[in-house]
Amino acid sequence: MPRAIGIDLGTTNSLVAHVDERNRPRVLPADEGRPILPSAVHYGADGAVEVGAAAKQRAPERPLDTVLSVKRFMGRGPGDVKPEDRGIYRFDEGGAVVRIAVAGGSRSVSPMEVSAEILRVLKRRAHEALGGTPGGCVITVPAYFDDAQRQATKDAGRLAGLDVLRLLNEPTAAALAYGLDKRMEGTFAVYDLGGGTFDVSILRLDGGVFEVLATGGDTHLGGDDFDRIVARRLLDGGLAPPAPSPSPAVLRGAVAAAQRIREALSSEEVVEADVELPEGHRLRARLTRAELEDLIRPVVERTTTPCHDALRDAGAPRVDGVVLVGGATRTPLVRRHVRALFGQEPLTDLDPDTVVALGAAVQADALDRGGREDVLLLDVIPLSLGVEMMGGVVEKIILRNSTIPASAAQQFTTYADGQTGMVIHVVQGERELARDCRSLARFTLKGIPPMPAGIARVEITYAVDADGILRVSARELTTGIEQQIQVKATYGLGEEEIERMLVESIEHAEADVTERFVREWRVEGDRILASLDSAFEIDGELLAPPERAAIEERMRGLREAMAGSDYLAVKAWIESVDAASKEFAERRMNKHVAMAMAGHRVEEFAEHPRVTGSKEDDLENQDG
Amino acid sequence: MADVPEGTAFCPSCRKIQPVGRNEDHFSLLGLAREYALDPRDVERRFRDLSRLLHPDRFARAEPRERRLSLDRATRLNDACRALRDWRQRAGYLLKLAGTDVFAEGRTFADPDFLEEQLEWREQLAFATSNADADRLARIAAEARERLRRIEDEVARRFADERWYSDLNVDIARRLSRARYYDNIVADAERASAAVRTAR
Repeated sequence: MPRAIGIDLGTTNSLVAHVDERNRPRVLPADEGRPILPSAVHYGADGAVEVGAAAKQRAPERPLDTVLSVKRFMGRGPGDVKPEDRGIYRFDEGGAVVRIAVAGGSRSVSPMEVSAEILRVLKRRAHEALGGTPGGCVITVPAYFDDAQRQATKDAGRLAGLDVLRLLNEPTAAALAYGLDKRMEGTFAVYDLGGGTFDVSILRLDGGVFEVLATGGDTHLGGDDFDRIVARRLLDGGLAPPAPSPSPAVLRGAVAAAQRIREALSSEEVVEADVELPEGHRLRARLTRAELEDLIRPVVERTTTPCHDALRDAGAPRVDGVVLVGGATRTPLVRRHVRALFGQEPLTDLDPDTVVALGAAVQADALDRGGREDVLLLDVIPLSLGVEMMGGVVEKIILRNSTIPASAAQQFTTYADGQTGMVIHVVQGERELARDCRSLARFTLKGIPPMPAGIARVEITYAVDADGILRVSARELTTGIEQQIQVKATYGLGEEEIERMLVESIEHAEADVTERFVREWRVEGDRILASLDSAFEIDGELLAPPERAAIEERMRGLREAMAGSDYLAVKAWIESVDAASKEFAERRMNKHVAMAMAGHRVEEFAEHPRVTGSKEDDLENQDG
Repeated sequence: MADVPEGTAFCPSCRKIQPVGRNEDHFSLLGLAREYALDPRDVERRFRDLSRLLHPDRFARAEPRERRLSLDRATRLNDACRALRDWRQRAGYLLKLAGTDVFAEGRTFADPDFLEEQLEWREQLAFATSNADADRLARIAAEARERLRRIEDEVARRFADERWYSDLNVDIARRLSRARYYDNIVADAERASAAVRTAR
């Protein structure tokens, strides 16, 4: 019986855990017997890929070919990578997602592919430890991850051949592990300061229900920032011979030294270091805890506002307890800061490094068994989802901290006489202007019948699933007849691209990958069959009997293929059904000509996310 | 497939999850009567009990159709709860169910005295913001909240009014429109006061 696993895919370290026979969550050995797999991937010139401690060791010597903290780049588009995150890497920003040049520049990899390498190793380790291919899996993400970052994480899991049952927010996972272990009840804050991300969640725990009331954070704030600041200080004057602009290799060595010094200062008052760096450099430094705290205080204080905001949003003036998560919360200054913020001693019973993976394992196990009677997680969307209006202003459609799954619809109208198209720009964030928010997708709704301005009514519906991933649909309402165009906001990769990468990847032949595809194509097949059945019901008169028979024959073919296990056959039959019913769809469109919309699936635009429509296509909110 | 009575999520015979009925509304999804007055604890209890049954977590390994229906039902349940928890949204939704166009009534609402008063509030707010006067901002927010509480009481009284008269819904819609002004004042005052505190 394949067993479900939970994965903490962290910025600096990753872990895999499962629930054992005695119903206890346990972390599995991930890297040469150790539970922690450093999130480091080294690309050798010979094409070999190393992951974990071995890869991390190569970082000082081969800095450009060793990707660390790749999580910071997940789901980022060209120009989205913050300058302080770029570090030493060479980026290829020609496409829709950033790519990192590795292996001496002979190869470029997307952050999603790098993450998939880490996940693949975790999957293999779980296989070894459990004596069989793992079943379903839950991957944790920072609560504050936006839609694009979530999508990229899910895609990475699929690319690694994992059956991703759910994405789970890291603080929620920690709360789950704590809540079950310590039988907690009441309102709790989870303060999660990891290597690269900061999250705070306020949860209410009551009778096995873990209800997230509010969440906040910063996806670019963590222990890595401490190390960079300390490294800069160490290089200032501590480096012999001095280098005004140190090479990537020297920088990497200094950051590694900074990390060791910082960690040592959690228990020592003063640390003296004398470290050999590449290229004949030497780093001598003496740092006291007080000096370290002065250096990192500004970073620690950046966690204050998200905590205050989350408490306010939750309507909770005080909490019954604070849980610490993430290695960076071992820092004494961070603990003092948390104590002052929440007015109480934080809880540290569970290891802050493993608690997220343990919670993920509990949830994976529960999902795999069709849910646990005694536990229910109710999570929220971290950032509001909106649409760009005329003048670049954002109209929010689903507000942050709404319990997921959630949906909401908003009506819009045309603002120019005879306007036949609308550009729908989907954004995520709290800022007023679209340009300050995260752009998720942009698609064009075409074929609105020419009408005077303000008459056409387009309803846009946003639906967020239990993973926090968004689907957008739009329909024209003038005639009162509903027709719907599904658009999935896929900032990351299309189905085809993932498939291609899977084929290129080593483990593509694995049966579970195929199974996953079969399942997914079956779902797609179901959807198409159901929509045709309902179309026959509504508009059956548009078809002559032989025409209908021809479509139905292919639908039978699709049904048969769906009963089998060849996903390519299912896919081919779907295409065949699509082709046979194209004419029917066009007739239906003509029938409902007043509200015909030949919209495009957003995937077509995803490769050129900056494509914009003409000015006249802008939206005007009817409720404006 | 047998007809499943309205308000039932699972087929009584096959026990499978069923689609949301055409005539379901936010109230019926939670098994509540269409009434403004409700017990928040009762709503939370119903929400949790139903979530336990319908949440997609319970269907991660189910057939695609059931997965879809669970997602749909859980979404509708969350949307319903979100709308009913907030008194403004709950009131607006009841008016909508009664056929009153809340937005149109609100837009045609033009009360010179009220608008003049709003201008004064806005001036006060702008003054306190430009002086970075956190105490004053806090006072403005508190006063606006007090106004909201009063409107909430008025709305509740009108919904409780047994004597039906045709202007009642329009009257409520106008009060909801006033509430929006105070909501904005609270939000702006809080934002300004947070900015002042951060700058310190």
